Amino acid sequence: MQNQHLSFEEFKAYFQDSFDSQEELMTEYNSFLMIFKQLDQMPVPDLSYREKANIFRRSCQKQPQEPSLIFTWLGLFRQPAVTFVLGIVIGCFLMSVVMNDPIDLTGTASADELLEIEHTRYSRTYKGKIIDEFYSEFENPKIVLEKAGQDAPPQRTLHGTLENGEIYVVWNL
Amino acid sequence: MNRQDPVSDEALIEAIQKGDKNAAACLYNRYIDRVHRICYRIVLDVSQVQDCVQEVWLKVFRNLDHFRCRESFAAWLNTVTANTAIDYYRKWIKQGNRLNSDDVHIRVVADEQTTDQQLDNALIHQRVNEALKEMSVKQRTALVLRYFEDMPMAEIAQTLACSEGTVRTHIRRSLLALRAKLAGKTI
Repeated sequence: MQNQHLSFEEFKAYFQDSFDSQEELMTEYNSFLMIFKQLDQMPVPDLSYREKANIFRRSCQKQPQEPSLIFTWLGLFRQPAVTFVLGIVIGCFLMSVVMNDPIDLTGTASADELLEIEHTRYSRTYKGKIIDEFYSEFENPKIVLEKAGQDAPPQRTLHGTLENGEIYVVWNL
Repeated sequence: MNRQDPVSDEALIEAIQKGDKNAAACLYNRYIDRVHRICYRIVLDVSQVQDCVQEVWLKVFRNLDHFRCRESFAAWLNTVTANTAIDYYRKWIKQGNRLNSDDVHIRVVADEQTTDQQLDNALIHQRVNEALKEMSVKQRTALVLRYFEDMPMAEIAQTLACSEGTVRTHIRRSLLALRAKLAGKTI
C-alpha cells in the first residue's frame, strides 16, 4: 500500500515557524517527499498462508477465561477508592475498641443490662441483673430510694412479687 | 469494508457472535494483512511480529461479543492493533531486548549481485529503518497511522488516547527524526 504523501498545507502547519522564507519551506518540503518515497519502497515482509492459518487457529482456539469470583473480589479491592473507604471503616472500628467504647451493633445490650437506674425528681429506682441475683427469692425485684421532700431523709424499699406476681412485696431496707 | 466483499463487516460480526467460524475466518482474511502491516511498522522486528499479530486477533475474537455494530469495525480494529503493538513493543524492550539495526545491511552485503544503485537504496532504507527505530513508539505509531494507514488526526488521537495537538507533536518529531537521519544530521 502506498503511503499518503504529506500535503504542503500539512507540512506548513508542522514547520511554518522553522523556516524564514517560503522558498526554504518548499525546498524542505520536497526533501520530505523524497523521504516518503523511500518509506514507500520499504517492504513489509508478507505472512505466508501457513503463518496466517496458524495465527487464526491459535486465536480462535484460546477461549476467553472467565475470572473466578475470588479474583473479581480481589480486583475490587485493587481500586484505590474502595481501599481508602475500607481503611477508614476499619480504623474507626479499631479506635472505638481501643477507646473502650464498643459499637453497639445489635441494639440488644439493654436487655441484659447489669444495673438500670431510673431517676425522678425525688426517687431513684435500681433494677437489673445484679438486683435480680442479689434478691433471687423475689420476682422482678427493684430497690427504690426516695425522699418525701427535698430536705427529708432518704428511704430505701425493696419492691418485688412472689408466686408468679400474685403477692406484691414492699420491704423496708 | 472492501468493495469486492459482498458481506459487510457488520453481518460477519453478527454471524461470529452467533458462533459461525466461517464468518470469523472471512473477517480475519479481510483484515489480516492490514493488522500485520501496522504491527510490523510499530514493532519493527520480524521475529516478534507474528506473536504481536496473534495477540491482536486474540483480543479481537475475545471482545467481539461486546462489539456494537454502530461503531466502525475497521476503526476499532485499528485502535486494538495500534495499542496492542505499542504494549507489545514496550514489554519486549522492557525485557532487555534491542532492535537489530543491521538487518538491511547484512542482507545487502550477503548478495554479491547487487549494483551501486541497489547499495545506495539499501543504505537509505537502513537509515530510514534506524530513524524509525530510534523514535519513540508513540511517535512511530502516529506516523504509521497517519501516512501509511491514512487515518485522520482525530481518529489517531482517539486511538492513542491523547489530544490532536499531541498527535501533531508526535508526527512533527518523527518527521524531523527521519529528516535528520537521512541528511546525516542530529536533532
